[in-house]
Amino acid sequence: MTAIIGAGIDRVDAALKVTGSANYPNDVAYPGLAHAALVRATVAAGRIRAIDTSAAEAAPGVLTVITHLTAPRLDRGPMTLLGPSPPAPIQDDRILHHGQHVAIVVADSPERARHAASLVRVEYETVKALLDLDDPRAEVTANPWNLDTDRGDVAAGFAAADVVVEGTYTTPDNTNNPLGLMSTVAIWHGDSLTVHDSTQWPHNVRTSLAKIFKVPESGIRVLAPYVGGGFGAGLRMWPHVILTVLAAREVGRPVKLVLTRPEMFTSVGHRPHSVMRFKLGATRDGRLMAIDADGVSPVAMEDDDYEPVSLCAATAYGCSHVRTRDRQVRLNIPCPGSMRAPAEGQGNFGLESAVDELAHALGMDPLELRLRNFAQADPESGLPWSSNALRECYRLGAERFGWSRRTPQPGSMREGRWLIGYGMAAVSYPAYQVPCQARASLHRDGSAFVRSAATDIGTGTYTVMTQLAAESLGLDVSRVRFDLGDSDMPYSPQAGGSGLTGALGNAVHLACRRLVGDVLDLVRDDANSPLRGMKLDDVTVDQGRVHRVGIPEQGEAYSDILARHGVEELSADGRSIPPRSEDLGMAVAGAFGAKFVEVRVDPDLGLLRVARVVSAIDGGRVLNEKTATSQIVGGTVGGISQAMFEDTATDRETGRIANATFGDYLIPVNADIPDIDVIFVGEPDPATPIGTKGVGEVGLVGLAAAIANAVHHATGRRIRTLPITIDQLML
Amino acid sequence: MEVTLNVNGSAHPLRLDARVTLLDALRDHLGLTGAKKGCDQGACGACTVLLDGRRVVACLTLAAQCEEREVTTIEALSEEGTPHPVQAAFARHDAFQCGYCTPGQIMSAVALLAEGRAGSEEEIREFMSGNLCRCGAYPNIRKAIRDVAEEG
Repeated sequence: MTAIIGAGIDRVDAALKVTGSANYPNDVAYPGLAHAALVRATVAAGRIRAIDTSAAEAAPGVLTVITHLTAPRLDRGPMTLLGPSPPAPIQDDRILHHGQHVAIVVADSPERARHAASLVRVEYETVKALLDLDDPRAEVTANPWNLDTDRGDVAAGFAAADVVVEGTYTTPDNTNNPLGLMSTVAIWHGDSLTVHDSTQWPHNVRTSLAKIFKVPESGIRVLAPYVGGGFGAGLRMWPHVILTVLAAREVGRPVKLVLTRPEMFTSVGHRPHSVMRFKLGATRDGRLMAIDADGVSPVAMEDDDYEPVSLCAATAYGCSHVRTRDRQVRLNIPCPGSMRAPAEGQGNFGLESAVDELAHALGMDPLELRLRNFAQADPESGLPWSSNALRECYRLGAERFGWSRRTPQPGSMREGRWLIGYGMAAVSYPAYQVPCQARASLHRDGSAFVRSAATDIGTGTYTVMTQLAAESLGLDVSRVRFDLGDSDMPYSPQAGGSGLTGALGNAVHLACRRLVGDVLDLVRDDANSPLRGMKLDDVTVDQGRVHRVGIPEQGEAYSDILARHGVEELSADGRSIPPRSEDLGMAVAGAFGAKFVEVRVDPDLGLLRVARVVSAIDGGRVLNEKTATSQIVGGTVGGISQAMFEDTATDRETGRIANATFGDYLIPVNADIPDIDVIFVGEPDPATPIGTKGVGEVGLVGLAAAIANAVHHATGRRIRTLPITIDQLML
Repeated sequence: MEVTLNVNGSAHPLRLDARVTLLDALRDHLGLTGAKKGCDQGACGACTVLLDGRRVVACLTLAAQCEEREVTTIEALSEEGTPHPVQAAFARHDAFQCGYCTPGQIMSAVALLAEGRAGSEEEIREFMSGNLCRCGAYPNIRKAIRDVAEEG
């Protein structure tokens, strides 16, 4: 059999996507569909003194206007794997952030709903909003995730250091902004409910809605076969989903809500800004003696978010003396939430900039400094890594990039008017996996159907799971159909944390293995079968057949076995559980990466261009080179975007986001992005049967630091504040 | 308001609210959901369709402006199940991830090629810069277009 895994086959959903036939939640239509529009708060803190909906209610085509005065009391959603659910909407008159939903309007057309929403008059009693991390009135939580690190003796480590560097690094709010406007279509049939939603986690939507609307989970079906990107924005069930479901119940018709682009900035999370301090001490020969890191980020008034920005300092390098401290400050801001590489995306910028500063202070090549401090074992547990090819990433990435051509002195490389800078950064991405289930069925014609309630937000889940199932069952990929995005399917966790491919892949693998075992059970006492009495370990699968290991003649086709036994369909379930370091005696490793960047700076105009990027990645076993490369390329574009473009600007007086459109919030366009070179190194990771390590986030992390380090190399200017903009570069 | 939209070679007499955009007319009234809404403000290109052969963002075009003009959408590109060369190249080069911007990218690319503006990497980069891709498939989008341009 030709290798199915690793092969860069085209996406199995490519034909649907290039013809515009993939069905995203806002493509859904129903007879009698009504349309919703939201009314959002125009102050950041205070109370609604009065809300007048009479003009809106009288407008043509309006079916209902729901406010806190008319909404039923709703429970808050459940505690989830990712923390508490966001607060339920329109439950009282309090305003906790600018852009908070205060009403939902439903009409018979989107135009009429939007117009009527503009007629809702709200009077506010305003109080001074908490908008700054250093506002003395704001509530501060120390060690909010209980992840602060104390290893060794940091004071002694610094005392033994010859060189100490310390810097404060800041990152701005970034907004996920998947291109797909997040949308919900809700249809009640009596007590049962169908919801089409732009979610990364259909089961969470189902569980949450069941709790909030007090209906059984079995009566709720959540569909998300295609999602227009997520980058974390679809991980939680946000208040607008609840409002749409509520509105549909109220009007007794299907209701569709499509968030507007400005609403995407305040309704579905964002990467919160951070202020971080990293202090590193090393001996003259570049041995890290101590790391001291702290970070602070904001969180919304009545919500939670996971952003331990300083934590990366504890695990990135072999250093005996480490202290990390995180704090969270409650502000009147829209709920932050995970955005591709939460915490790591911010923290790595600070840490890897500081490492570059240390290299410069030592007069040492930054690559050499990192090699000298490679973590031979997991710095926290002391256990050997399940796999770690970071040094190969350094070596092969540097070779491909031509790092040896770098002359150390800042400003020493030029081409015409352009100053050239080479910069690099390392990434040690944490491993993450949670339990997952899948079901595999074999049909009488020898084809297979495998499914799980996962999502494919562009990551390639449809494709790689088809490949994995084909491999595990010994079928051609054309004989396997993999389906997802339906909460009626077996439980899947969220597409997030770079954890889905591992969790789902192992569940698919187990389901398929059990299915082969069930086929063997069928012929256990079958005198007509050459496989009679065989066990799973005795056989292999290939070309739609099961045969004895090493003896292809001694076997038979699935279709023959099923036909002879009169079985139309045979199904088996697989449940994966996350590998545990303590069971394996190895630290379960996430992905590693080394990023190399060439920038060009025009010293007169302050122009900054990324000319080349090489990303060398240890992602464990690569299931599909084409889609895995796209993950890294896409992450790299996200990293360039974080470094040079993205900055959600909040007005410090009003709490209003001042640039909540694609005209004002900058993300890269085609012309901003160079060709991106991706190299996969490393081996299948032994911690799980399928050997993958997630590659969804490792592509983004490191770019911001590598670009800032390259800018320093080009200009001698150290930029510690993102994004890097022209005004910081005018020389 | 009454308007007849000529879409992909068929005439569709419609009765529409005067505020209805070409994008919403296609999506909500004709069931042609290939063109996507990414911003509704003319800034992302996900709704790109051809109007008399030229690229327009359908979200900033009122349906009322399209009387007696020919609208071409992604749904018309492949013929009897055979993908358009640009569609095939996008699939081959993995020039998309979530796929949401893809119909707009492909419509822009088709027009670009027809206009003779895909002669170089630099041209493609510039003239494709009205179509945002948040998944970051830009390098593969260029490869796909380059491939078709070189095939002639």
